[in-house]
Amino acid sequence: MLRLLPAIIALGAFAAILAGWAAGGGAVEAAWAPSWGLELSFELDGLGALYGLLATGIGFPVFAYAARYLPLHLDHQGRSHREEWRFFGLLLLFMVSMVGLVTARDLILLFVFWDLTAVSSYFLIGYDRQEAEARSSALMALLVTGVTAVLLLAAILLLWAEYGTFSLPELAARARPGALVTGAGVLVAIAGLAKSAQVPFHFWLPRAMAAPTPVSAYLHSAAMVAAGVFLLARFYPLLALSGLVLDLLLAAGLASIAIGGVLALTCDRLKQVLAYSTISQYGYVATMYGLGGGKSVAAAAFYVLSHALAKSALFLTAGAVTEATGEDRLSRLGGLARSMPALAVGSGLAAAGLAALPLTIGFFKDELFFAASFDDSWPAAVAAVAAAGLTFAYIGRFWLRIFAGRRRSDAVRLPPLLTAPVAVLGLAVLLGGAFAPPFGDLAAAAARASAGAVPPIEPAYHLDARAENLMALAAYATGILLLAAPWLWRRPAAWVASTGARLGPERAYTVGLAGLNRFSDAIHEIEVRDLRSRIAAVLVPGGALAVAGLAATPTAGAYRAGTLSTDDLALVLTLAVVALAAIGTAAPRHHLTLLLSVAGVGFGLAVVYALLGGPDVALVAVLVETVAALVFLGVFALVPRDVLRRMEAIPTPRRRRWRDPAIGIFAGAVVFFVVWGALSRPSPAAAIADEHVRLAPQAHAKDVVTAILADFRGLDTLGEITVIAVALVGVTTLLARGRLR
Amino acid sequence: MIALAVGIPWVAAVALLFLDGRRRWVGWLAVTAAAAGFGTVAALAALVVVDGPREVVAGGWPPGVGIVLRADALGVAFAVLSSGVLLVALAQQVIAGVRSRTFPALVLFLATGLTGLFLTGDVFNFYVFFELSMIAAYVLTTYGGRARQTGGAFIFAVVNLLGSFIFLIAVAAIYHVTGTLEMRAVADQLAVVEPSTVILIAVALFVAFGVKLGLFPFHFWLPVVYAGARPTVAAILGGALANIGSYGVLRFGAGLLPRELELGAVALLVIGGASIVYGSLQAVSRRTAPEVLAYSSIGQVGYVLVALSVGGRAGLAAAVVFALVNSLNKALLFLTVELRGWLVGAAFAVGALSVTGVPPSAGFFGKAALFRAGLDAGDVAVVVLLFLGGALSFVYMFQIYQRDHWRPASATAPGGSSPLAARAIAIGLAMLVIALGVWPEPLISIGEDAASALLGGR
Repeated sequence: MLRLLPAIIALGAFAAILAGWAAGGGAVEAAWAPSWGLELSFELDGLGALYGLLATGIGFPVFAYAARYLPLHLDHQGRSHREEWRFFGLLLLFMVSMVGLVTARDLILLFVFWDLTAVSSYFLIGYDRQEAEARSSALMALLVTGVTAVLLLAAILLLWAEYGTFSLPELAARARPGALVTGAGVLVAIAGLAKSAQVPFHFWLPRAMAAPTPVSAYLHSAAMVAAGVFLLARFYPLLALSGLVLDLLLAAGLASIAIGGVLALTCDRLKQVLAYSTISQYGYVATMYGLGGGKSVAAAAFYVLSHALAKSALFLTAGAVTEATGEDRLSRLGGLARSMPALAVGSGLAAAGLAALPLTIGFFKDELFFAASFDDSWPAAVAAVAAAGLTFAYIGRFWLRIFAGRRRSDAVRLPPLLTAPVAVLGLAVLLGGAFAPPFGDLAAAAARASAGAVPPIEPAYHLDARAENLMALAAYATGILLLAAPWLWRRPAAWVASTGARLGPERAYTVGLAGLNRFSDAIHEIEVRDLRSRIAAVLVPGGALAVAGLAATPTAGAYRAGTLSTDDLALVLTLAVVALAAIGTAAPRHHLTLLLSVAGVGFGLAVVYALLGGPDVALVAVLVETVAALVFLGVFALVPRDVLRRMEAIPTPRRRRWRDPAIGIFAGAVVFFVVWGALSRPSPAAAIADEHVRLAPQAHAKDVVTAILADFRGLDTLGEITVIAVALVGVTTLLARGRLR
Repeated sequence: MIALAVGIPWVAAVALLFLDGRRRWVGWLAVTAAAAGFGTVAALAALVVVDGPREVVAGGWPPGVGIVLRADALGVAFAVLSSGVLLVALAQQVIAGVRSRTFPALVLFLATGLTGLFLTGDVFNFYVFFELSMIAAYVLTTYGGRARQTGGAFIFAVVNLLGSFIFLIAVAAIYHVTGTLEMRAVADQLAVVEPSTVILIAVALFVAFGVKLGLFPFHFWLPVVYAGARPTVAAILGGALANIGSYGVLRFGAGLLPRELELGAVALLVIGGASIVYGSLQAVSRRTAPEVLAYSSIGQVGYVLVALSVGGRAGLAAAVVFALVNSLNKALLFLTVELRGWLVGAAFAVGALSVTGVPPSAGFFGKAALFRAGLDAGDVAVVVLLFLGGALSFVYMFQIYQRDHWRPASATAPGGSSPLAARAIAIGLAMLVIALGVWPEPLISIGEDAASALLGGR
């Protein structure tokens, strides 16, 4: 019973949206992030009602189906039933995101829900995570829909930067045709097309069929894929400002109709047929938005509605058939109508709806489509008829191969919960054919939200020779011909499939991803790994930056040399010794010589301090150098003799012999310039040191240095003492390893 | 209040030196002290956000004579985040069991150093706290005691001592040309000194912080250290210590050297862009999560630089928000690395979503802030870089997520699920990341406040 809870929630949400819509819609608003002017702003308008009702209304039968399907699915795979709640949690998360998406009025809010649908889809596709195919399919879907979603974000922020609002109604009022709106429109269109699995982003959808069947029925036919065309509808006022964007939609839509239709005709696996069919069907919708105009937009809204009802039923049928027979290929199925009549009838109604037979809601979807294309131009009308014929053929093939003909496999009895949802959806398709006006009103309201004034949709049967009826007849005829004479299309269709596999975007994706990983491996091979090169990687670019900085600023008069008198001779000589000792540190191989050389630098500098009139500093320097030298000696004494010898015997690689000194000289020169540049500036008149001298008596200190160390900057002293303490702790910790513990 | 924020962890750290950190109660004592420090910093932050910056001079001397400690929005934001990360990392290590006498004390010393350097208004005092943080970090990196950790710590110390040395040269040069160490006075003085001198100081500071941040091409020390360190230590390094670099470029670049920052905007964009592309490309095919995260860090700090190059109020705010979010992400992800259990997988997934900038996670607003700044400035190169880096981050984060958490072999990793408390910490962090994604106002407004603090400081 608990398993049915999601279905009940979906039903409740459906009823709530229906009630809200009947009450005339409405809006709620709350502050969200005022710093950015973001609002939690929702509105139930026609478009939101249409898609919201779809998401919840189809959610109900699919969730009910899943309540029975999922335990069976987990049993087949030997998995724990505890994994169920993750599935239903994600499904519910998806449903909520979908409702949020379609009612959001703030664009950032809309984007948040947009990505949430992609995220929940990712986890649902990868639900059977132990299977490699599910993992790679999930990643593919995430990369295609997630990365293109970033384009939507860019478009939203681009529009914000220009028009200063995240509110869609305000944006629609302010936007004017131009390069910016066209650019943003293209980005939105790409995001929408990728989500709706339109060519050339279509390849992720057939792969996504690795998900459990309820997911395919819900996300990948009725809801998530529909989010893509929803986005087009939502942004239609902006998209329609640019002819280029509409042409782009038209081209992608027509290509999707053709490619999806042809591949649906050739596929053998049940869910693959339906996936390609979905690509093709949303191609119709994209085409209609591309055609533009109130009539087309209304037709598109109606199309989404009727397609979602039919397609989800067919997906559920595929899952039920596979559950009953264990087969998922058309070539191994047949003649199942007798053993599962309810399923056959339900799915037959849905298939009839998709094929646009009279008395189903599907008839009107094609009628509106035909009318819109007929109004546009005669090539569009011809394309429409061809497309409808193709649909008739592949969906006919799908149903007939499963339920008609010779029986090829055994079927076990299905639990009623796997059949009833299909029947319910099939009946809905039939209901829509018999009492079409409410559905038409809903679609017209949705279209009004997109395109403003649109003609009302008045679905009715007319027994006359109007263009729509003739086009429908032509489409049936085409479909029957394709069904009856498969040899007509088999070879070209196979060619399309193989060319697509060889040169299509899916191949580009797999090759690209593998190439990216190989490239990453290759550049990882050449990462620097030795210490000297790591240091060089700091010194050389740092020096180069300094040189660039010098080049970017005027240097005339920035460096002053000062004068030299005979009194400075001792200083110069000492500095020369220091310099020689510093250069000398690069030469020795023996550790002790190196130590003496380093100590020489230090003691030399101590002499320099003394000469410059800082005897106290000189004394400190001597002490520090002495202690440091002694510590080094102690460390050498601790290191085993043969280790030191071995280290000393390692020869310097030939290319290092010149590289390292060169880097050292370069870095030294740069530091020289930094120091020289600073020393060339006269010290400011009002240095804080004067204040220190003045205030020293107040600190009760006999001399300024004491005052500074113990009082003025006592915090620094305390900090430095702590640093030394921590260093000691570190040394003892390291020494304790292995011996003192 | 400021003194208390620095003093609490300092006193506790010194006291803990005399205790054996491997004992459980000592560990919890350290956690309590870290929590107290965090609480103080958080309270200080609340005061600063409501009442504006607070200032205190050590010893009660006039500013400049004594050391100025100043808490503004930028400083407290980083201080709160860093001490928070240290607190959770320490708690997790205590739960898992501390295997070194000095670990808790070192973490608190690090907390002292970090809090101090974020709250000081004095250039040399910054260096002192910087050194304290670094030395504590070097020692912490050896935690674990294997060759991987010790070797990593050695490289870490050598390269970063070089960076500290370069920083010290810059501090000395600043004092020579300005005659003061107090940051506001330094900023006023530097604005009138010849550019050719100041630009070299600026470069030296940039290199010093670049090394700390692990920007390409100064990053070569970073992967071996992050990937070699124990996960809690890596979380500390990536989530707390790395803040020094971001804070440093913000405070010294935008705060003290705005003229030079503008002059170097192109260089920042190039280096930031190189880091983004290079780090992301390296991360794509790495086999273990720590390696991926290490290279991801290199890429992510590039965004901070790119935001700085955009500049202006929006750019600075974006840099702050992104730096904060990035640290939070890295802390969360590193802390989950060695844990097992399906909720941990979910926590990792939240972190991965946040790194890729997918809502509802804090990372989304980090990335959105960057996009917003770039588009506001009409900077196409920035937007393209953001898109490219974002796309690559999808690839590397989710490849490693699936490898670690979806493959059947990984589900039955040795040891089964980790201790509940350890998992609870990771999950709590993940929930924080989500909470900031659902209600981003605190994050956004602290970013704006910090940007005002930087711009208003001159």
